[in-house]
Amino acid sequence: MEVKEQLSNVTAPSVHLLGKRIPAKPLNKAAIVTRLTLFILAALTVYAFYSFDYKELDFMDALLGTFANLKTIFLEPHLKHFSFGHALYQVMVTLGLAFLTTLFGAIIAVLFGLMAAENLSSRRVSIVIKSMVAFIRAVPTVLWVLIFAVAAGLGSTAAVIGMTFHSIGYLIKAYSESFEELDRGVIEALQASGANWWQIVFQAVIPSSITYMISWTFLRFEINFAVAVAMGAAAGAGGIGFDMFMASSFYLDMREIGAITYFILAVAVILEIFAAKIKRKLKTV
Amino acid sequence: MAALLEVNHLTKQFGKDSKALTDVSFSVQEGEFVSIIGPSGAGKSTLLRCINRMIDASGGEIRFQDHHVMDLKKKELKQVRTKIGMIFQHYNLVNRLSVIENTLHGKLGTKSTWAGVLGLYSNEEKKQAIQILNVLGLNEMIYKRADQLSGGQKQRVGIARALIQNPRMLLCDEPIASLDPNSAKVIMDHLKKVSTTMGITVVVNLHQVDVAIKYSDRIIGINKGQVVYNGSAKALTSEDIQRIYGSEAEDLIFDIGGIHAG
Repeated sequence: MEVKEQLSNVTAPSVHLLGKRIPAKPLNKAAIVTRLTLFILAALTVYAFYSFDYKELDFMDALLGTFANLKTIFLEPHLKHFSFGHALYQVMVTLGLAFLTTLFGAIIAVLFGLMAAENLSSRRVSIVIKSMVAFIRAVPTVLWVLIFAVAAGLGSTAAVIGMTFHSIGYLIKAYSESFEELDRGVIEALQASGANWWQIVFQAVIPSSITYMISWTFLRFEINFAVAVAMGAAAGAGGIGFDMFMASSFYLDMREIGAITYFILAVAVILEIFAAKIKRKLKTV
Repeated sequence: MAALLEVNHLTKQFGKDSKALTDVSFSVQEGEFVSIIGPSGAGKSTLLRCINRMIDASGGEIRFQDHHVMDLKKKELKQVRTKIGMIFQHYNLVNRLSVIENTLHGKLGTKSTWAGVLGLYSNEEKKQAIQILNVLGLNEMIYKRADQLSGGQKQRVGIARALIQNPRMLLCDEPIASLDPNSAKVIMDHLKKVSTTMGITVVVNLHQVDVAIKYSDRIIGINKGQVVYNGSAKALTSEDIQRIYGSEAEDLIFDIGGIHAG
């Protein structure tokens, strides 16, 4: 009897929809806000293009000029102010900068990641760390480097500290989220057998999330490589980025920029291949 | 015989006015096989977890051996926990580790932090693990990863992990609820064997009344956080089952006469 009543309740609301067009999504507040936002953005985009100061620029001319520059950069690269060996060495310096900051970041982030994971620490500690991480991550890496440059002076020291700082924030978030993926029951099972926190972390939590941790760390390493190139130019941290800065703003040598770009591209491709290999291996183990 | 476990006037309150357990009292003798049955949400899991303080009870007294479990400090509590093995519905193994590694996890409670962190187990411990796995019929799975096992095999690893603790008592939280009837029987047979041959006390939460009647010495029935039946499995009548499961029990899908006859 009860069941029948409930059934009729379920069918009742859909009866009046018969014959009308049935919307797949209900038009609620969220949908209206989304549509309104998209509409405003579209309108602003049109207005922006309309109100640009084009300085009497001929669009076709500009486009052709850009292509001509790109052609010089990428089709006629050469090295003039330094040798191939020097360039290779500088790439290594940049890679070193990326490696060092990722390593420091990873070590510190493991510890704080454990404290930030809600299933491994108290709620309060987790919230405090997570909000600090959100703040650190909100400020771009370059800005952190410039902030630390106030104390350490522009150069590699500031770059290492600043990049490490942002890496820590990034990796804490990544690590703590993969720690939280772990089933609560596993932790409970080990607690019930009398294991302590450190034993649970190293015997259950880290073995379960090691693949995530490695792929996040490698992703951060790739990001840090790109940032390290930029830091060479912006913060005088040395490496291939500094050579690029010299080639572009000091010697105005577009062909050399092309050569350096190819160097960086080659390294990035090698890193990518390496990362893919590691990931494949981790999946099968 | 002295009672191994004694629970007196245990209450547990979640939040302000939702009582999970009210005035629960019972005792379990050394070597006894006790089933706790009751409808979902009656407080069976809560009760089990109060015993080894995975959940802190709000009031009452729990005595295990001669320890007042509720007054124990952190370190003593860990020591008591090493004497109580626990088995779970979802096995709760570390999926990426091998069967023997999962089994050896049961030893962590008795090891120093460093040895546990680095996973340094003595040869005797490994021998014991292999011995237990042999008894449970897992001798060919020792180096398999836990996520390659079937449900029944996983649960046997769970039992191995509990047994390597050399426990005095096993707490089993719905050990067969996710298993097919065959694996369920294997698991229950193993638990019964553990209880009769090794003299380990077994307290098990069950959903299947017929299984409870078949395997246990004693049944404790719980409804709405209160003990409504506490007696031998043989003496359980259909009125008792009705009291445990509420009025709908008339329509329960088994026939109590048939169970006793079998």
